[in-house]
Amino acid sequence: MKEEPVVTAATEKPGGKGGALGGRGGALGPFPGVHLVAGKATFSECVCLLSGSLSSQPAMEEQPQVQDADEPADSGGEGLAGGPPQVAGAQAARSEDRMTLLIRLRAQTKQQLLEYKSMVDASEEKTPEQIMQEKQIEAKIEDLENEIEEVKVAFEIKKLALDRMRLSTALKKNLEKISTQSSVLMDNMKHLLELNKLIMKSQQESWDLEEKLLDIRKKRLQLKQASESKLLEIQTEKNKQKIDLDSMENSERIKIIRQNLQMEIKITTVIQHVFQNLILGSKVNWAEDPALKEIVLQLEKNVDMM
Amino acid sequence: MSVLRPLDKLPGLNTATILLVGTEDALLQQLADSMLKEDCASELKVHLAKSLPLPSSVNRPRIDLIVFVVNLHSKYSLQNTEESLRHVDASFFLGKVCFLATGAGRESHCSIHRHTVVKLAHTYQSPLLYCDLEVEGFRATMAQRLVRVLQICAGHVPGVSALNLLSLLKSSEGPSLEDL
Repeated sequence: MKEEPVVTAATEKPGGKGGALGGRGGALGPFPGVHLVAGKATFSECVCLLSGSLSSQPAMEEQPQVQDADEPADSGGEGLAGGPPQVAGAQAARSEDRMTLLIRLRAQTKQQLLEYKSMVDASEEKTPEQIMQEKQIEAKIEDLENEIEEVKVAFEIKKLALDRMRLSTALKKNLEKISTQSSVLMDNMKHLLELNKLIMKSQQESWDLEEKLLDIRKKRLQLKQASESKLLEIQTEKNKQKIDLDSMENSERIKIIRQNLQMEIKITTVIQHVFQNLILGSKVNWAEDPALKEIVLQLEKNVDMM
Repeated sequence: MSVLRPLDKLPGLNTATILLVGTEDALLQQLADSMLKEDCASELKVHLAKSLPLPSSVNRPRIDLIVFVVNLHSKYSLQNTEESLRHVDASFFLGKVCFLATGAGRESHCSIHRHTVVKLAHTYQSPLLYCDLEVEGFRATMAQRLVRVLQICAGHVPGVSALNLLSLLKSSEGPSLEDL
């Protein structure tokens, strides 16, 4: 007797991967343990498969639950055959809940079994007995963590590749049905292509701009360096000049020349004073003669000049 | 027993147990209540303790997650936590221990510097969560997070294990060199 409501409820569950339970029952993979029974299997068959794949101790705890689940299924079937539809609906819902519960428990037990197994494997590995320094321990921890990360990344890549393969086979199967002119898929593909072209164009533009920026920066750097070297040259020249000037001032020859100059000036001044006194002493009217006037009034100028 | 070990008992079917260790009873009680209000497919059991070691007379289920609640306002709570940490087996720290720092909101009352707790969490390679347990909204969010972490640690989420979660939660830099 087919228990219809239970089977349809089973096939309505979201996120399922089609495939018989028995085929996957042995593998303990990290994939979610929810598997749908495809099509025509009955509820009781499904339950037997569930209890068969549970190999650990909790399987025995589940047996009474399995038997409980059988009963409402049967009564659900009987209720449909000749009872009020509301009662049948409620019991079908309850068996649906039990189904969900069982599947969830199965996933849980799988995960817990995996954890225990990994702990057992880990404890079998020999830990190094020697006392290592803390830094070495930390370095070792980092290495192990890196290993874990690498394995995770490899797994993710493989999963991605598998998903892509699945997608491409699904696409291949559907392509025969799709008309190439009008369908959502073709629209999506065209949109994708346009977006990709846009992306490539903008990437090219940004690359060009970056190149220009780089060139300008190079030129600026070169200019800066040139100006630096020029300034350095100017400074060295100035310094040289200053040094030359200083050395010149301090040289001996200049001192001697200066002394001579001073002597000459003194002599000239004395001679001038003599002339002036002569002129004044001779009581000549020196204001009338311009040459005499010049000699008398010249005293100030000479002294100022030095 | 004097030392808590993570996998010495078989797990209860569809149950997940969390142990909250902290000196502030009222806060722990409130957090426990918020957690029990959360919607969760598996049965939750919350155990509260002031400090470890736990008395061995009680028959308790396997503990899936330990949360050490450190109150940043009191140095005694940090001391208590450090003492209790000695009674936890090393294999617990593979993702089944979590530190929760509360009271960071009121900076003026904090007597423990934040870096102390950060260093503690870094030494034990466990995640550190911040939450002001006195504020209702934050407490509810934290309860949600803890329930989710608890489910993963108890093995109720297929495909994610406690160790996996730990490596996901790890921040890329530890406490900065100046603090160490």
